[in-house]
Amino acid sequence: MELLQFSVRKLIAGVPLVIGVTLISFLLMVYFGPDKTFDLLGKNPTAEQIAEVREQLGYNKPFLVRYGEYVRELVTFNFGASESTGEPVTSLLARTIPVSVALALPGFILGNLLGVALGLLAAYYRGGLADKFIMGSAAIGMSISFLIVIIAFQIIFSSSFGLNLFPVRGWDVNSIGDYVSYVTVPTLATVFVALGYNTRFYRSVIVEEMSRDHVRTARAFGVPPAPLFYKLILKNALIPIITRIMFSIPVIIISGSLLLEQYFGIPGVGKATYDAIVTGDQPVLKAVVALTAILLVIVQLLTDILYRAVDPRVSLK
Amino acid sequence: MTATPLLKVTDLAIEFSTPQGRVRAVDGISFDVYENETLGIVGESGCGKTVTGLSLLGLIPSPPGRIAAGSIELAGRNLAKLDEAAMREVRGGEISMIFQEPMTALNPVFTVASQMTDVIIRHKGLTRAQARREAIDMLGKVGIPAPARRLDDYPHQMSGGMRQRVMIAMALACGPKLLVADEPTTALDVTTQAQVIELIGQLQREFRMAVILITHDLGVVAETCQRALVMYCGRIAEQAQIEPLFRSPRHPYTHGLLDSIPRIRDQRLTQLPTIAGRVPDLLNLPPGCRFADRCTRAQEDCRTAEPELTQAGQSAFACYHPIGHQPAEPVA
Repeated sequence: MELLQFSVRKLIAGVPLVIGVTLISFLLMVYFGPDKTFDLLGKNPTAEQIAEVREQLGYNKPFLVRYGEYVRELVTFNFGASESTGEPVTSLLARTIPVSVALALPGFILGNLLGVALGLLAAYYRGGLADKFIMGSAAIGMSISFLIVIIAFQIIFSSSFGLNLFPVRGWDVNSIGDYVSYVTVPTLATVFVALGYNTRFYRSVIVEEMSRDHVRTARAFGVPPAPLFYKLILKNALIPIITRIMFSIPVIIISGSLLLEQYFGIPGVGKATYDAIVTGDQPVLKAVVALTAILLVIVQLLTDILYRAVDPRVSLK
Repeated sequence: MTATPLLKVTDLAIEFSTPQGRVRAVDGISFDVYENETLGIVGESGCGKTVTGLSLLGLIPSPPGRIAAGSIELAGRNLAKLDEAAMREVRGGEISMIFQEPMTALNPVFTVASQMTDVIIRHKGLTRAQARREAIDMLGKVGIPAPARRLDDYPHQMSGGMRQRVMIAMALACGPKLLVADEPTTALDVTTQAQVIELIGQLQREFRMAVILITHDLGVVAETCQRALVMYCGRIAEQAQIEPLFRSPRHPYTHGLLDSIPRIRDQRLTQLPTIAGRVPDLLNLPPGCRFADRCTRAQEDCRTAEPELTQAGQSAFACYHPIGHQPAEPVA
C-alpha cells in the first residue's frame, strides 16, 4: 500500500519533468530544427507553393497550438507516420527498440557484472599488483576511442585479415545462433570500453565503503574476507551502483548504441533516431524525446524502490 | 591476581610507513593483563593507545602499518605470529573489541539479528535458530528491553546507548577471555556513559574476563580499573595500581594529566592548569625523554637519553626526576 501510494505520487511528480523535457526539445526542434519545406519543393518554388506546403506540414500554426498537438499525440501515444518512410512511428519503435535492447543487453550486463567483480578484486588487493594491473587495463580501455575499438574489433574478429569468425554488418536474426554471431563483436567492443569506466567507478565506491567503521567492527569480529566483501561491503555500496546502472537504462532502450548500430549496420532505435535527426523527421523525434523522458521518470521511481530494498534507512514517505 | 598473566605484551612496536618515512606509533611497550582484571590505558589523542588496542586483534591496517617488533601472548600463544585465518578465530572469539562510535560501528543495512547471529554461528558453530536464542539472551543481559523484538531492528532504529549495548552484547556473545574497549563511552551522553561503564563492570564479573579500557577519561579509569598505563607519544610513561597512580603520581606527565581535571569543590581556581606545549612530532622525536620539552622538572640528562621504564615502589615510570623521591611522601 505504501509502495503503491509512493509510486502514484512519484509518477505524478514526474509529469512536470516530462512536460519540461518535451517543451524544451520541441522548442529546439521547431526553431532550430530543419525546415522540410524546401526539401519537399526542390529548387525555385513559388510563394503559393511554399505557403501550401507549410500549411500541410503545420508550420504556420502558433507554437503553443503545435505543442498542444504534441501533448495530445503523447497522451494518445499516436505520433503519426514517419515523414521519410511513411511507416507509423509506433510500429517503427516496436520494430527497432527490441533490436537495440537485444544488441545492448549482453554488453550492459557483462560490463556491469565484470565491473563490480573487478572493482571488488582491485579494492581487495588495493595497492597490490592485481590492483595495479586491473586499474592499468581500465585506464587503457578508457583511453582508446570507442570508434577505434569498434573498427579494430571488426578487423580482428570479422575480417579476412583477422579471425573472420563473425559477420561484420547486419542483423538477420532467426535463431539463437544468428543472435550470438551478430551480437558478439559489438558486445566485446562495449565491454572493452565500458569496463574501464565501470571498474574505476565501482572500485572507488567499494574502497570508500571499506574505510567505514562497521567494516572495522566486522573485521574485529572475525568476518572472513569473502563475506566481508560480497555481503557486508557490497550491500552498502549498492546505492551508488544501482544509481549508475538504473540511469543508464533509458539511454540503452531509447538512444541505443548509436555508434554500434551505425558501424555494424544494425536497425536499432539508435540508428532510427540518428536518421530522423539527419532528415528532420519530426514525428519520430517527438516520440523518441517523449519516451526518453517518460522512461526516466519510471526509472527514477524504480531506483527509489530499489534504494528502499537495500537500505532500511531510506523511507518511501 | 594470578601468577601467570592472561595477556603478556612484550616490547611491542608498531610502525606505519608514511610518505615522510617510517613512524613508530607504539615504541616498545610491555604490559600484562590478568584474568578478571580491568586495565586502563590512558593518554591523549595520538599517543598510540588505540593502535595498541587494535594490534591485540591483529587489526592494524596493513599496509601501511605493521607490528615491527615484540610479542603479544594470549594464554601462552603469540598472536603477533598467527596467520590471518587463525587470527580470525581469535577475533570476536577469544578477544573482542568494542569501539568508540556506536552510531557508525554497526552495519547500517543489516539487522542486529543478522550481525549478532553471524558472529555467534561463526565462533560457536550453532544453528541459526540457536544463535538467535543466544542473541536474544545476550541482549537481555545488556539491558535491552523486549530483546526478542529489538533483535530484528536495524541499528538506525536504536539510540546511541542502545547501539553500544548491542555492541557489548555482540562482543560478549562468544565468551571472550579479553575485552578491549576503545573509548566505549566517549560518544555517549553522560548518563548513558555511566550506565555503559557500569554494565561493562557487571558483565566482567559475570563472565570473569579481563578488560582493557582505552580512554582519555581519567574519571572512568579511577572508577573502573584496578591498574592503569599512562601512555605518552607511543611509550608508557607510568604504570601503577589505581590507588598510588592517582594519590601519588610519579611521572610529571601523569601529574599534569591529573592536575588538569576540573575539581568541583575547588571554587577559587580561576584557570584550569594545563600541560604547556605540544606533543612532539613522531617523525622528529627529540633524542632524550619525549616529554622533556613540556616538563617542568626536565634537566640536562632528560634531553640526552631516553629514560627506561623502571619499577620503584608501587609504580613503574620512565622518568629521571620523578615526583616524590620517597614512596611514602605525602602528595602536596
